[in-house]
Amino acid sequence: MNLALVLATLRQRFTSPIRIFIVLLFGWMPMLPILLAPSAGFAALGDCYFIALALAAGMIGQDLSSGILQLLLARPVTRAQYVFSRWGAVAAGTFLITVLQTLAAALIMALRGAPVQWDQAALFLANNALLALGTAAVMALLSSLAAGLGDLGLLFLVFISAQVLEKLGMLKSWEWLARGAGELSRGLKPELDLAPFFHGGPVAWFAVVSYLSTVTLCLGLAVMVMNRRELSYASSGN
Amino acid sequence: MDGIRIESLTKTYRAGQVRALDGVSLEIAPGEAFGIIGPNGAGKTTLLGCLLGFLRPDSGRVTIAGREPDDLAIRAVTGYLPERPTLDRWMTGLDFLAYYHALARLPPAGRKPEAQAALARVGLDPEAAHRSIRRYSRGMLQRLGLAQALLGRPRYVFLDEPALGVDPAGVVLFRRLLDEVRADGATVVLNSHQLDQVERVCDHVAFVKQGRIEARETLHAGATLARVLRVRGPAGTIGDGVPRAALELAAQRAGAELREVAAPLARFAVPDDAGAVRLVQALVAAGVPVTEVTPDEGRLERLFLEDRPKGGPG
Repeated sequence: MNLALVLATLRQRFTSPIRIFIVLLFGWMPMLPILLAPSAGFAALGDCYFIALALAAGMIGQDLSSGILQLLLARPVTRAQYVFSRWGAVAAGTFLITVLQTLAAALIMALRGAPVQWDQAALFLANNALLALGTAAVMALLSSLAAGLGDLGLLFLVFISAQVLEKLGMLKSWEWLARGAGELSRGLKPELDLAPFFHGGPVAWFAVVSYLSTVTLCLGLAVMVMNRRELSYASSGN
Repeated sequence: MDGIRIESLTKTYRAGQVRALDGVSLEIAPGEAFGIIGPNGAGKTTLLGCLLGFLRPDSGRVTIAGREPDDLAIRAVTGYLPERPTLDRWMTGLDFLAYYHALARLPPAGRKPEAQAALARVGLDPEAAHRSIRRYSRGMLQRLGLAQALLGRPRYVFLDEPALGVDPAGVVLFRRLLDEVRADGATVVLNSHQLDQVERVCDHVAFVKQGRIEARETLHAGATLARVLRVRGPAGTIGDGVPRAALELAAQRAGAELREVAAPLARFAVPDDAGAVRLVQALVAAGVPVTEVTPDEGRLERLFLEDRPKGGPG
């Protein structure tokens, strides 16, 4: 990872008014249930998926379409470093928002006289950290494939396709199709529930391997796509 | 060798349907300023893209100081200004230069002062340093782009139409900066349609047409180039009092060729600088009153105008 790139990505994401609006919407809306029922605990906050999407959208694609990537990659930065830095920055930004969310929720609980369960807070943060890393990895792959904000379109397209195929598989009793489409759908939101670990039990190996393989595959493919990509405005008229 | 070597470079687009580069070979010596000129669609930007490692050639090879162009050691000493650069619009000018200073792996201690000095170097005032880039004019963007390209004393500088959209004062400044960069020993590759700029800055120039190097010219001091001169005389002389035959005779003696007479001007083609001197001497000796001798076309413009057989050097 390249620290300058990570910091620049974070600054870029947090200076975009539309992103800030979406992050505030999805970051502070879940405070409402905590305000109304403080004893509901941190689980009432939901997860950081949409915050991650808001920060991740166009993370590579916007550089591709704007031409910034040429200037950037003329510097001593490998394409893999570029992808990992964007991924790391989006995940870190999402996690930062989640930490602020958790602290705000804890404050509300304390002020409303509800007990603050710090083990629940730790579980909430750990699960969301993994979700942020996973979602950022998926978006890194989609963003390397599509210019601009096309990654959101691709995400929607894959999601809808997976849903349709899953339903078709169930309808026709094609278990392989239903399972495959279901995995694809779940792969768009890679998460790992660490609750068993926090409660003293083991986390299922299948879940761990599935999560890690999804994240690794997405990042590996994103780097591969970027390494194969030619950067030019020449082909359209030099 | 620390220079740039291009060997039999071929690059096609659209599954081979468009041949952007067709067996281009060049050597650019270290410290040389090399111009790439040619008509639109000739393959100049593709060539620059291959030199920077942005494009993968179908065949052939580019090496810079014996390394691949995308080698990080080469990137660390490379400065690049693309045509119509897109800069990070959400940053201020100073932030942008500090960011690229960091990306260039330059020492953090000098980041802010060097970014400020780079801004001043391209003539951007201190107020612009703290202004958002999205509020920069076209010329200011170009200046900022050049400041970015010259950060950290690069050894290889690639410039694609650097003076595009820049005011005349900026053009003069750019030329001075390029002179400084060259004096510092950097190798400069300049892709430009502004032939007078190329002529003033570059030692050598390659004329690219249809993906091939159609001609290579030497431009540095003392080099000679064939060109067309326009000779003017007082009213009633050339084309009137002085007959065409006298002009033809003078041209013949000087080894030049009379192209056209249209009072009070005559156009002569000369083979080189010495030929130009001989022509003026022959005209004066023949009693032709000469008030002005000017190049009818820039030395490089000739490359665009001449028809030459396909498959020239390259």
